[in-house]
Amino acid sequence: MSTNAAPRDDRMPLALTVNGRAVTLRAEPRMHLADVLREELDLTGTHLGCEHGICGACTVLLDGEPARACLTVSGACAGADVTTIEGLDDDPIAGELRAAFNREHALQCGYCTPGMLVAARDLVLRLPDADERRIRAGLSGNLCRCTGYVGIVRAVRGVIADRRARGIAPTTGAQRGLGPVGARLGTPAEAARTPLRPVTATGTNPAPEAAAAPETAAPALEIADDFVPAHRFDQAFTVAHPPDAVFALFGDVEAVATCLPGAVLTGRPSPEMVEGALQVRIGPIAARFRGRARIFRDAPARSGRILGAGSDAGGRSATQGEIRYRVGPGEAPGTAKVDLAVGYTLKGPLAQFGRPGLVRDLAGRLGAEFAANLEARLSGAPAPPAAGLNPLRWLLAALVAPLRRRLAARGARRP
Amino acid sequence: MKPARFAYERPADLSALLDRLASAEGSVKLMAGGQSLGPMLNLRLVEPDLVLDITGIPELRRAAIEGDTLVLGACVTHADIEDGRVPDLTGGALARVAAAIAYRPVRNRGTLGGSLVHADPAADWVTSLIALGAEVELAARTGRRRLPVDAFVTGALDVALAPGEMLVSVRIPALPPGTAWGYVKHCAKIGEFAHAIGAVRIEPATGRARVVIGAIERAPLVVAEAARLFGGRIGPDFAERFDRAAADGVLREAGMTDAVDRHVHVTILARAVAQAARPAPSTRPVSEAA
Amino acid sequence: MSDAIPLTEGVGARLPRKEDDRLMRGRGQYVGDLRLPGLQDVAFVRSPLAHARIRAIHVPDAYRDRVFTAADLTDVQPIRAVSGLPGFKVSEQPVLARDKVRQVGELLAICLAPTRAQAEDIAAAIVLDLEELPAVHCMLAAREPGSALVHEHWGDNVFLETLVDVNFSAALDAPIKVSRTISTGRQCMAPIEGRGTVVHLDHRMDQLVVHTASQMPHIVRNGLSECLGIEQGRLRIVSPDVGGGFGYKAILLPEDVCLAWLALRVGHPVRWLEDRREHLTANANCREHHYRITAYAERDGTLRGIDCEATVDSGAYSAYPFSACLEAAQVASILPGPYDFPAYRCRTWSVATNKCPILPYRGVARTGVCFAMELILDAVAAEAGLEPWTVRERNLVRPDQMPFDNITAKHFDSGDYPQALARVLKAIDVDAVRKRQQAGEADGRRIGLGLSIYCEQAAHGTSVYSGWGIPMVPGHEQAGARLTPDGGLELRIGAHSHGQGLETTLAQVAHEILGVPVARTRLVHGDTAMTPYSTGSWGSRVMVMAGGAVAAACRELADRALRIGAHLLQADPAACRFEAGRVVGPSGDVTLAQIAHTWYRRPQDLALDVNPGGLEVTAGYKPQRDSGTFSYAAHAAVVAVDPDLGAVEILDYCIVEDGGTLVNPLVVDGQIYGGLAQGIGTALYEEVRFDARGQPLASTFADYLLPGPAEVPEPRIDHMATPSPYTQFGVKGIGEGGAIAPPAALANAINDALRPLGVALLHSPVSQHRIVAAVLAARDAATAREAA
Repeated sequence: MSTNAAPRDDRMPLALTVNGRAVTLRAEPRMHLADVLREELDLTGTHLGCEHGICGACTVLLDGEPARACLTVSGACAGADVTTIEGLDDDPIAGELRAAFNREHALQCGYCTPGMLVAARDLVLRLPDADERRIRAGLSGNLCRCTGYVGIVRAVRGVIADRRARGIAPTTGAQRGLGPVGARLGTPAEAARTPLRPVTATGTNPAPEAAAAPETAAPALEIADDFVPAHRFDQAFTVAHPPDAVFALFGDVEAVATCLPGAVLTGRPSPEMVEGALQVRIGPIAARFRGRARIFRDAPARSGRILGAGSDAGGRSATQGEIRYRVGPGEAPGTAKVDLAVGYTLKGPLAQFGRPGLVRDLAGRLGAEFAANLEARLSGAPAPPAAGLNPLRWLLAALVAPLRRRLAARGARRP
Repeated sequence: MKPARFAYERPADLSALLDRLASAEGSVKLMAGGQSLGPMLNLRLVEPDLVLDITGIPELRRAAIEGDTLVLGACVTHADIEDGRVPDLTGGALARVAAAIAYRPVRNRGTLGGSLVHADPAADWVTSLIALGAEVELAARTGRRRLPVDAFVTGALDVALAPGEMLVSVRIPALPPGTAWGYVKHCAKIGEFAHAIGAVRIEPATGRARVVIGAIERAPLVVAEAARLFGGRIGPDFAERFDRAAADGVLREAGMTDAVDRHVHVTILARAVAQAARPAPSTRPVSEAA
Repeated sequence: MSDAIPLTEGVGARLPRKEDDRLMRGRGQYVGDLRLPGLQDVAFVRSPLAHARIRAIHVPDAYRDRVFTAADLTDVQPIRAVSGLPGFKVSEQPVLARDKVRQVGELLAICLAPTRAQAEDIAAAIVLDLEELPAVHCMLAAREPGSALVHEHWGDNVFLETLVDVNFSAALDAPIKVSRTISTGRQCMAPIEGRGTVVHLDHRMDQLVVHTASQMPHIVRNGLSECLGIEQGRLRIVSPDVGGGFGYKAILLPEDVCLAWLALRVGHPVRWLEDRREHLTANANCREHHYRITAYAERDGTLRGIDCEATVDSGAYSAYPFSACLEAAQVASILPGPYDFPAYRCRTWSVATNKCPILPYRGVARTGVCFAMELILDAVAAEAGLEPWTVRERNLVRPDQMPFDNITAKHFDSGDYPQALARVLKAIDVDAVRKRQQAGEADGRRIGLGLSIYCEQAAHGTSVYSGWGIPMVPGHEQAGARLTPDGGLELRIGAHSHGQGLETTLAQVAHEILGVPVARTRLVHGDTAMTPYSTGSWGSRVMVMAGGAVAAACRELADRALRIGAHLLQADPAACRFEAGRVVGPSGDVTLAQIAHTWYRRPQDLALDVNPGGLEVTAGYKPQRDSGTFSYAAHAAVVAVDPDLGAVEILDYCIVEDGGTLVNPLVVDGQIYGGLAQGIGTALYEEVRFDARGQPLASTFADYLLPGPAEVPEPRIDHMATPSPYTQFGVKGIGEGGAIAPPAALANAINDALRPLGVALLHSPVSQHRIVAAVLAARDAATAREAA
C-alpha cells in the first residue's frame, strides 16, 4: 500500500450509551449508527437490509423509541441511549415476544428478526388495543421475506392480548421531549465538529485520499444523429421581439448557454460544435454533465436543433438530449413565438430510480427559466439569477470544489 | 452503499448555525431527522461537503400557540404530532396526517421542517399544509421572513430558500369549527410514496375552499377558483356538487396528459371531498392508519 | 442430561424450532457478521450501461495498488454454465469484464480499502470510457433478425430453442379455441440479507476459506476450482447463517471468484457485502416469461390440447450452475400442470438480452407456467360459459390414474387432485362468494373469485438432471450421523438451510429413528470441510434427499447400537429391538448413552467382533424413483378490486395442499405462508422494468415494492397427506409450492371481478396502474361501441 493512499483520519469522538453501557469511540461523520454498532462495537445483531430506511432490519431503540440505524448518522446520536437486540436479552417484553415468536414460527432465516422484535416491542407497549389490522399496519415498516408475516402477527397479537389480560397499561410517550429521538439538545458543537475537506494543499490534513476526484475526465460521448429520446416535452413561449432577432440569438451559442441555467462553456464554440457542462440540481441531488453539443440550423425555416451528450465525472451517469426549436411570428406584431421540443435520455444511477417525473419537473423548470432568461437577454437585461433553481454560490462552490480537491491531492503527493 | 465523506457539525444555538450556514465553504446541507436525506447520502446521490445538524437547537424543538396559529419548530417530528405532544388547533387533522407518514421508526426522527424543505411532491406535509393555509418562517443572518407554504414549495424537491437561509418554524392556522377537512392519499402499499393526494379545506358557510392536488411529481396544484369544482358554488351540499369532469379539466390544464393518472387523482380528490363532508372522527387517530 | 424421550418430537411433530433463540437474540452469524483481523472491504466498479465496448478504465495513480481490473486477472477463467441440450449456445461470463459489458452492473474493477465507504470512494474516482452499443432489452425483439447481438459470434440471441410436439394436430378440430398472450414481469428475489463473501487464507490447512452466503457450498467449490484453477482440497467453502435465499444464493458469483482471487493476491482477509442497489440493479433477476398460448377444448370444457410459444428472458449470461436454458426448457415439460389432455405442442426460446442473468426463483418456471395455464383455463371457462372450477374438474388427473405419466412423461407419484379442488371450493364457499358478487358492494368495489392449481415436481434427481447436462447433476445424497460419547447426536449434511429450519426438522427425522432428543441433536451444515458432498438446497429437495439420507444413516447407527447393546445385555441381537433411544432385550434394556459411553470410553466392554465402524456413519440415499415427488395444491382467492384506483384487497385465501407426510407441520405451514407472500409480490407488486437502453428502473425498495404485513392475508390451509410411494416416510418436497399458485389465483380473481367491465389482465404484476388503465380502456371501448 502506498503511504499516500492511507485514508485521512477525520473520525470524530462520539460518546453514547449502548445497551446500558457508556462507550466512547471515534467514527467518521458519514458512518451511520448501524455501522457504528456493527463495525466499531461488534454488535452484529443490528442488520442492514436496504440502507435506505424501508426494510426495517436495522431498527434499534434510540432513547427507548424505535428508529432506523441506517438513517441516523453517527454524530446525530451523540449522547443518545441506544438499545440493540443484544440489549434486550433480559427485557421482559422482548422475552414474551421471543417466546411467542418461537411458538408461532414467526421467523425463518432470522435476518429481519432483530428489527422486527424491536418494532413489535414498540407496538406492544404503545397500542394495547391493537387489532390485527392495526398490528399489520404498525409492523409495515419491517419487511420479512420468509414468513408471510402470519406467525409474526399471531405472536404480537398474542402478547398484546396477554398483557391486556394482565391489565398492563400502555406507555404514552407524553414525557418525551419534542424532536427526533436520540437527538440531544445543545450538544456542544466542538464535540461533534469535524474538519472540512482541506482547502489548500498545505492544510492540516495531508492525505485526502477519499476525496480525490477522478484525475482523468470522462471521455466525451459520441452524439448519434438518430438519437431517440426516452422522455420528451414541448414548451412554447412568446417573446416581445421580432422572430428574426430571436432566431439570431439562437445562433449565438454563448448567449444561449448564458440563458440555460447551469450551462457553462468550456471551450470556444464553433457554429457547429460546442463543449461545455450542464450543472443540474434536483433538490439536494447535484449532477454535472460534461460533454459536447452539435448545432444544426435551418435559417429559411428559422428552426434548429441542438444535440448534446454528456456524462458525470466518472462516466457513470450520462445524458443525451436535444432541443429542437422553431421561431415564428407571435400573435402581436413584432413578437415571436418560440416552440421548443425537448427530448432527453438518462443513463446510470440517476436513471435507475422509478420516479422520472422528478426529472421531468426539473426539465420543465429549466425550460421555463431558459425562456425567461432569453426574454431578458433580448430586452438587454442581464440574465436574472435563477431563483430557487441554481444559487450562484452553490454553483461556484460545486465548480471549484473538485478543482481544489484535485490540487490538494496533487500537493499531498509531493515528497 | 455508504455516503461520500462529509464534515459534520452540530451547532448548539440558532445564531451559531446561521453564521456557519453563511460562512461555510463548499456545499452545505442542513439535516434534521435525516429520514429523507439519509437515503440520498447512502446512495451518494447527495455529496455535501458539510452536514449541519440542526437538531441540537432548542428553538427548533418547540411548539406554541400564538393566537389562532399553531407554531411548530422545524425539528418537531411526525411522531410528536401523531402522539399529541404538540397542541392541536385542527381537530386532529394534523395528527391523522402525521400518523400515516411512512413508518413509526421513521416518524420518530423525521421532522416537519425537514419534510417541507425536502419538498418531495409525494410527501404528506407539502400538500396538507398548503391546504391548511400554513406558512413557513425562514431565518437568515440578515433577518426573518414568512412565506405561505405554496409559495415556499417551487417544484419537485425545490423550495424558495435563499442562500444562507433556513426554515425555522411552520405556522399552521386553526381549523375553526364548521370548516370541513378532507385528506386522502393513495399508495400502492402502506408507508409507500403517495401516487395521488387530495387535500381540501372547505368553509361551507362562507363558500371558501382550498383544494390541493398533490403527489404529481411537481409542486402541489392549488386549484384556483375552487368553486368551479363544485358547479360554481360552495355550500353545505358541496360533496354532492363535486364535479369530476371539472377536476379532470383542472388537471388537463395543468399539463397532466396521462389519462390514468388523471383518473386516479380525480378519484382521490373526490374521496377527500367526501371525507370532508363526513363528521371528523371523534376518537384519537389510529396510529399507522393508512 | 436426561435421556427421557418426549415422544412428540419425531416425524409429524409440530415442533417449535431450536434455531430460533440465537436468531432472536441477534446472535445469528451471517456472512457480514464475521470478524477477522486485517479484514478489508471491497466495492466494485460496475457498468452503468447495459451494452458497451470498454475503451478504457482509468485508475488514478494513487489507487493503482488498490484497484484490480480484468488485466490483473489473467489466470482466471470465465464462468461457463453449459447445458448439454442440443443447440445450446455457450456464454462465457467474464469474472471482470474485459472487452465488452453486457448488462448494467457487470463487474469492471475491484476496489479494496479498509472500509466499504473508502472502497466506494475509490470506485467513484475511477473513470470509465465506454462506447455504448445498442441494448437488447426486449426478448421478443431480440429474436427478430437484425436485432443487436449480446454475443456477436452466435449470430442471434437465442441460447436455446426447444420443441415438444405430442400428437398436436389431433386438437385442431376442437370446437373451442382460445388464444391469449400472457406474460410475467421481471423480478428480483430480494432476500432481506444480500449476498456476501468473505475470504481468508488458512495457512495451517493451506486452504483458501471462502465464507459466502450460499445455498450450495459444494457447487461453489466446484465452480471456484474451475475458474481459479485451484485444486478442490485447497478450497473450503463455508456458508454461515443465510438470511434468505429463494434461489438467489444458488449460484457461483463472479464476486466470489474475484474475492477468492483477491485474497490470494493481497494475503489478508477481504470482504464484499452486496448492498440493496447492487441486488436490484446488478445481480440476478428471475421470472420474465412471455407466452402465446392457445387452448383447444370441447364445449363442456374438456381440454383437447394446448399449443404454446414460450419465451424466457434469460439475460446476458448463463448463470452457474443452472444455466440459461433451465427455465424455458422446463416450461415445455411442465406447462401441462396437473391436467390430462391428449395433444400438446410447445416451442420455447431462452433469449439473451442485456439484462442481469436469470436464476431459478422459488417455483422456477412453475410460477409462470401456472400463470399461463390457469389464465387460459379461465378464458376457456368464459368462452364455454362454464364456471372456472368446472373446466378444472373435467381435466385434472384423477386419483385412479395415479401414479400417472403425463403427456410430457412426467411421473406423478401420488395424490388426489380433484379432491384438493373440491376441498378448496368448499373452504372458500363459492356459492357465498357468487351471491356477494351479485349483490354488489356498497363502496363500489367489485368482488372476484380466482382459482389456481399446480403440481410441483420436487427433489428430482439424476435421471432428470443428467438430461439437462448442466454443471450440476444430483446423485445420491449423503448424510453423516455420529453419536457423541455422552449420547448426543451430530448430523452432517452437504445441503444448507437458508431459513427452512433444518436444524430442527432433520433432528426430528433422526429422533424418529434413534429417539435422541431434538435438543441433543446438532446439525452440521454449510461447510465443505465438515460435510458430505451435496448439490445443495434447491428444487424443494432437502427434506426428501437429506431427510432420507439422515434416516438411512440413523438406521445404520441404530443397527450398530443394537448389536453393541445386545452384547451389553448378553442377549442375541435377534432377540433385541431398538426402541425409543434404547436397546430392549429379553431381560432388560440399555440406553443409547450407555452404548455410546461403552464404544468411546469403555471399549474393553465391547465384543471382539464389534463393527469397527463404530457409532459414526455416512450413508447415502436416493428415493426408489428419482423422477421427483409431486406435491400439489389448489388455491382459491377472493378479492375486492377498486376499479377507480386499482387497489386490490385479498378478502379470503384458502389453500388445500398435499405435501405427503409432513415432518413438521409448523415449518411446512411457514413455507406455505412465506411462499404465498412472495406469490402476492409476483402477482401485484414486484417488477423491475427496464428502459429501451437496458437501464433497470428500480434501484431501491421505494421502486421495487415488497409486500409488507398489511398486504398479505393470513390464509387458511388444509392439508391432505398422500405419502409419496417412493420416499422415506412418504415425504414430498414443498418448499417452493406456496409461491407457484398465487399469481394465477389472484389474477383470475381480479379478472373475475372486472369481467363485467370487459377487462382481462394477463400480465403480472397486476399493478394498480395496469388495472386502472385496463378499466379505462374498456370504458373507452364501450363508449366507442355505443357511439358506433
